[in-house]
Amino acid sequence: MGPLEVHRVRFFGLVPAGVRCLAYLPRRRRLALARTDGAVEVYGLEEGCFQEKAIPGHQTRSVEALCWAAGERLFGAGLSGDITEYDLQRLRPARTVDGFGGPIWSMVANGGGTRLAIGCEDGSVKLFQVVPGGIQFEKNLDRQKGRVLCLSWHPSGTHIAAGSIDFIRVLDVRSGRTVQRIMVNYHVPKPKKRECVVWGIAFLSDGTVVSSDSFGRVQFWDWERGTLLESHTVSTSAVLSLAVSEKEDSIVVGTSTGATYQLQLLPVKAGSQEKRWVRTKPFQYHTHDVRAVAHSPTALISGGLDAQLVIRPLMEKVQRKGYEAVLRKFTFPHRRLVSCARKARLLLFQFSQHLELWRLGSTNETGKDGEVLPVCRMPEHLLQLKSKGPEHIYCSCVSPCGGWVAYSTASRFHLYRVQHEGDGVSVKKVPGVPKLLLPAYQLQCASDAGRLFVGSERGSVHVLQLLEPGGCKHLHTLRPPAGTAEAVYLLASSADGNWLAAVSGDWEIHVYSLKHFKHHCTVPTYSCAVTALAIHPATNNLVIAYADQQLFEFSIPEKQYTAWSRTVQNWGLHKAWLERDSPITHIAFNPQNPAHILLHDVYMFCVLDKSLPLPDASTPLLNQSTLKQLPEHARQRQLHAFKICKKFQPLLFAELLEENRLVLVERPLADIRAQLPPPVQQQPFGT
Amino acid sequence: MVRRRRKQQEEEEEKEEEVAAAAAVVPSPAASDGEDAPEELSFGAAAAAAESERQLAGEAARRHRELLKEKRRRRQELFVEQKRRKLLPEALLQELAAGRPEKPAAAERDKQPGNKSEKQSEGRVLKQVKQDKARGARSKGNYTAMHLKDQSLTGLHQQTAKDFVYSHLYGPGTNRTSANEFFSLANKKDPVKKAAVQFVDKSWGLEKKQKATKFKKHWISRKM
Repeated sequence: MGPLEVHRVRFFGLVPAGVRCLAYLPRRRRLALARTDGAVEVYGLEEGCFQEKAIPGHQTRSVEALCWAAGERLFGAGLSGDITEYDLQRLRPARTVDGFGGPIWSMVANGGGTRLAIGCEDGSVKLFQVVPGGIQFEKNLDRQKGRVLCLSWHPSGTHIAAGSIDFIRVLDVRSGRTVQRIMVNYHVPKPKKRECVVWGIAFLSDGTVVSSDSFGRVQFWDWERGTLLESHTVSTSAVLSLAVSEKEDSIVVGTSTGATYQLQLLPVKAGSQEKRWVRTKPFQYHTHDVRAVAHSPTALISGGLDAQLVIRPLMEKVQRKGYEAVLRKFTFPHRRLVSCARKARLLLFQFSQHLELWRLGSTNETGKDGEVLPVCRMPEHLLQLKSKGPEHIYCSCVSPCGGWVAYSTASRFHLYRVQHEGDGVSVKKVPGVPKLLLPAYQLQCASDAGRLFVGSERGSVHVLQLLEPGGCKHLHTLRPPAGTAEAVYLLASSADGNWLAAVSGDWEIHVYSLKHFKHHCTVPTYSCAVTALAIHPATNNLVIAYADQQLFEFSIPEKQYTAWSRTVQNWGLHKAWLERDSPITHIAFNPQNPAHILLHDVYMFCVLDKSLPLPDASTPLLNQSTLKQLPEHARQRQLHAFKICKKFQPLLFAELLEENRLVLVERPLADIRAQLPPPVQQQPFGT
Repeated sequence: MVRRRRKQQEEEEEKEEEVAAAAAVVPSPAASDGEDAPEELSFGAAAAAAESERQLAGEAARRHRELLKEKRRRRQELFVEQKRRKLLPEALLQELAAGRPEKPAAAERDKQPGNKSEKQSEGRVLKQVKQDKARGARSKGNYTAMHLKDQSLTGLHQQTAKDFVYSHLYGPGTNRTSANEFFSLANKKDPVKKAAVQFVDKSWGLEKKQKATKFKKHWISRKM
């Protein structure tokens, strides 16, 4: 592969929203996450943490509490005063019930997942029953003045601990009365007398109530007597979140400065029966407030307002001391937010409430490896499309010729015809879009710009014909033969317009024939989620990347895995390849060379050359820099198929255009950090 | 004082001369004692004198009348001006009168079935037209339609709740600094020192930069 001209794009101004709530489901090892803009995401923590489901946010939705109940049902409550159940198969809020208590600050499910307790602005704690159709109001517990900011059920389900401003109270569930009221504002030196906000609370099975407050203290109370057992001052700023492990021997807390601390119940002396809570490990992985923490059996999970999700496995709990014990940080979504119009050299950026269309710049000069070439024509911002209404955008796409732009929100589908006149563009909305079941979860334009594929619910894909000068017609709806309840989240179409591959939430890949509009075949099931999918333009091979970093190549005409794919599986992928942090989110091909596959994840992009031998375990995977220094004949001996470049990070998108041009969209973390809310000032020594 | 007296004396003398002249024309009773016989006066002189006097008086009266007329005219103009200002522009009135001829009549009939006074109905038509005009104008101007449902207490509660969180996280007691300062400090404390985040603020010297670009354009165009 010859020298590539790299378009290094850094004008995608994505600022992800901060993490507000976390909820861990131990049975399925799933983590639900809610952001400050109302988006809800579900991560699978089993093999490689992949963002399996994402529900886009809403301008008026604010999620203050998230919890799993009754098996795998996800409930959220926020400042609008409603309890919302999220439909994870159709990726939208399913049902809403008004709490009638004003803004809801906290919501917890009891041990069995049969009841929900919510803490409201007016100081009341209300109980709801989780029934198959939705939730039903059960009763109101005792109401006292002061908003209930945090709640916790006793594991037996008989009592609830509620944290407010300046006090904690324990309520008896059966009678509804407050049986204990503990003032938290004592033990504070006089000059610092201000109100003490209890941000987090937990009720342990031995009757200890753990509270974290705005003075930076974690305190342990005996609820029956109302006395303070232990007090730990972990920070000078507020301790905003608290989570207890299932075995109740470890607590993780998150503070306003971005530090998280672990407290463990350890014996006082080796072998003695008496145990005490000790602050063991401090971690500083965030720069901003840590407003949500969760405790899984093997890891501490924290999410901060710097939009990072950090999973810190605990060394003593991890079985295999391999790559599993490594820290993981996620800032960017695992979805494709950039679309490229290859022939017109345009990029479409998807933000939460608007789209931007840019034309790439160009240069007339060539240079040596690693040189920065002067740009003769700057990249131009051609178009900004604002989505009307408070809903956020689910997906968007641009056609390869740059003439059609489509995007979908939860209740509307928009299609625009873009005319390029000289240097500028004019955009016109296409009227008469067929009424489809909305939202569209994935959009893909066919290579010849004649058709638009819309991934919808229940695994179905709509095929729309795009008509000149500006119209569209519904051709057909493709459905999987067995039927599924999940929505389609990935689409891939072939260059000759004959084949379409679709992946739905149950991880089944279906291939459809577009000539006859019927189902062609199903790729054999694999136990992991599909992260990226693409069909080779020449050979019609389907290249699949899975969440556990496995790669497969499936031949569509022959309906079986290709020989190269079997070789890769028999040989096994290199250890360094399998131990990568982020999933592959996009696969592209080289128009010049049919043996090349371009893959990228957040920290690297790789050109996979199928004609070269695969690396064995002893060769280093990242050998490009050493190869450059070797002479020609020595190089031939050490070449292997994986050519990885880690120079450009963090990557959001990579695509190969004609004439050896490579487009890379980066988003430097420093640019995101400059736009975050103000952090707490920290005075390091010597400043 | 002596001079004034002399002036006065001169003036008196002049007056006396005039009076004497007048008296010479018209016999004044004051001048005559009543002992002499009436003076001989020709008819023409007396007629001329009477005519001139009449003329004078007539002129004075005319002037007085003119003055009054002028005053009245000005007052009338002022009233007309005020009335005009109070009413609507002529064109609009015509348009409305043409567009809705039946409505004012109907309104008039509805509102005042018993009232037949022309002036009052006219006034009411004007008022009705004015109201219509006001309603019609609002359809063209800037206004926003709001759902009463949205203005309920929920928004207020939500705002109070958000203010509470904001004041406790970012309020006066908390020790907050800007993102720029925070990350710049981190850059300086690194083993490899880097520049501050947002080291160069794009808004510095905006005017100078604009002037420079203008000058450059001008200079290039002059050179061509």
